[in-house]
Amino acid sequence: MGDLRLMKGNEVVAEAAIRCGCDGYFGYPITPQSEVMETLMLRKPWEETGMVVLQAESEVASINMLYGAASTGKKVFTSSSSPGISLMTEGISYLAGAELPCLFVNVQRGGPGLGTIQPSQADYFQAVKGGGHGDYKLIVLAPASVQETNDFMDLGFELAFKYSTPVMLLTDGVIGQMMEKVELSDFKPRWTDEEIERISGEWACLGKKDRPRHVSTSLELDSEKMEQNNHRFQAKYQSIQENEVRYEMLNCEDADYVMVAFGSSARIAQKSMEIAREKGIKVGLLRPITLFPFPIKQIEELAGRVKGFLSVEMNAGQMVEDVKLAVNGKVPVEYFGRYGGMIPTPGEIVTALEQKLIGG
Amino acid sequence: MAENVTYTLKDFKSSNEVRWCPGCGDHAVMNAIQKAMATLGKKHEDYAVVSGIGCSSRFPYYMSTFGFHTIHGRAAAIASGVKSANPNLSVWQISGDGDALAIGGNHFIHTVRRNIDLNIILFNNRIYGLTKGQYSPTSERGKVTKTSPFGTIEEPFNPGNLVLGARGTFFARSIDSNVKHSQEVCTAAAKHKGTSVVEVLQNCVIFNHGAYNDINDPKTRADRQIFLKHGEKMLFGANNEKGLVWENGDLKAVVVGENGYTIDDVLVHDAKTESMNLHHALIEMALPSLPVAFGVIRDVEAPFYDEEMEKQIAHVQETRKITCMDDLLNSGDTWEVE
Ligand code: SF4
Repeated sequence: MGDLRLMKGNEVVAEAAIRCGCDGYFGYPITPQSEVMETLMLRKPWEETGMVVLQAESEVASINMLYGAASTGKKVFTSSSSPGISLMTEGISYLAGAELPCLFVNVQRGGPGLGTIQPSQADYFQAVKGGGHGDYKLIVLAPASVQETNDFMDLGFELAFKYSTPVMLLTDGVIGQMMEKVELSDFKPRWTDEEIERISGEWACLGKKDRPRHVSTSLELDSEKMEQNNHRFQAKYQSIQENEVRYEMLNCEDADYVMVAFGSSARIAQKSMEIAREKGIKVGLLRPITLFPFPIKQIEELAGRVKGFLSVEMNAGQMVEDVKLAVNGKVPVEYFGRYGGMIPTPGEIVTALEQKLIGG
Repeated sequence: MAENVTYTLKDFKSSNEVRWCPGCGDHAVMNAIQKAMATLGKKHEDYAVVSGIGCSSRFPYYMSTFGFHTIHGRAAAIASGVKSANPNLSVWQISGDGDALAIGGNHFIHTVRRNIDLNIILFNNRIYGLTKGQYSPTSERGKVTKTSPFGTIEEPFNPGNLVLGARGTFFARSIDSNVKHSQEVCTAAAKHKGTSVVEVLQNCVIFNHGAYNDINDPKTRADRQIFLKHGEKMLFGANNEKGLVWENGDLKAVVVGENGYTIDDVLVHDAKTESMNLHHALIEMALPSLPVAFGVIRDVEAPFYDEEMEKQIAHVQETRKITCMDDLLNSGDTWEVE
């Protein structure tokens, strides 16, 4: 057994970052994620590993500090909650356009606008459909536990550098604030300059002699070249779709119905599944772990043998659109959710399953 | 404008439960602002209160006036929009040090530079209260907070300096515990044409309690605070026995009658002078060698945006050559094909 602890999701974001050899963090306080920066500041990683932690004057400043830091080929990240992520979307689009690897953590709260400080999953569209302008996608990882929050920090960086693209960890106020047992990762040292040169040497601003000059930019005024750039981005996203889908399936082998849910709502849906199974309803759960790339093939396959899907979300029905696209009309797809900071109960979900799918 | 309307502070209170912590300085500042509004001779419906995000930004909910609880840092831009769209309104912006000076720093300086006729009340508690205790851009160097457990390593802003740097026309300072004085400076701010900035030193009992104790301790504050009034001698101390003089290019605190200083040496406050030198020196005054300055430090007349905008529109409408679509099409780069 590794290092076992009882920790909050937000604290684990900080701890996992230090342990996976992160070089820098830039943030700004916002509820319900302020513990990320507070934990980092308390941990003083600058003494232990040399990691930089900086409180910026706004989310706009943090994302642009991240943009600058990412151009040096180092492992850097920021975290915020929904309104703060909206402020960052300009920078996120530029980072995607400049193909710079980095990580963002969005501990979602209810919106729109200032909304509420209670948990929500209403930033699904923003996370998987772009959010900022232009044809880009983020790799989006949706942890459903404190343990996965720990594991996905390292995985997030790995994917960011593998594809040279920004990655988002989409959690929410439930997972950020709850305490669970977690086995922390072992410490990895930060990359040396030589390692960075090997990994990102083509473009990273390393401050080394005799390297070819590179200008980090998302701009290309020649439309033909810009189309070529976009072809490259799309090919990358295609390859991510083919190779990086992650999901969990529970009780889908004999299922008549399948619930699709991610993050904290998947935890609740799991309980609903148990209640429904006790009542004799054969229901399974598909939990997308990557929201982009979405488990399209898995849903297609299930659509050939189940009677219907229920998308369970803490929003007004966002992921259900992607489920419908994958099901492509073969069987009914329904949605159930609570939003604005409300959390569905397992019983409510079972009732929705009965009324919307089985009864209907 | 001034019809014969009489209001009391109560007319400006809403029925919403006030959810600031008991003992928070915000309560007193709100009373001061409400008292000021009640006596300004403006109609109740002419007031609009705009805030950003933060503890103090809950203000509009507690007012019976029209209000706007907006976006973090953007209150100055939104208040500017309200004022330019409806210049008849008396627009008050309520912001904290985080809201106005961190995320909103850019909008703050540009609003002041533009000199649009707003009253910005800046609640300075030197901490982020709403997010539970992280350092702010006015937290003093070395301040220990949740995001600076080993002390900050940054220099704080002095809000008055930002106002001067943006060539601002009005700056005043007050403190939450002195409601009468806060009311006076808010009244002066409302009367000033252009962007008025009032910094109110405000105690956050939960996350930064006692931040101003050194300035505000009842036992010593007579020696540590100076209340400035335009045209009056800069005197302070329990019996006004101390004064400010100008020596070696800076202000100096002296005891009148000691070391050869007489009352004639003591400076007279001039808030109306365009020169920023004295105002800058007053804003910068800090313990222990000098008292902290309160009152209207700068109040100069200058063209203000909303009036300039109206004047410009009227002027262009009177003198324009283009009066119809044909004129417009024939203006600029047009020619006849023969
Ligand atoms: S946290 Fe501080 S500033 Fe906010 S309401 Fe409480 S005492 Fe006032």
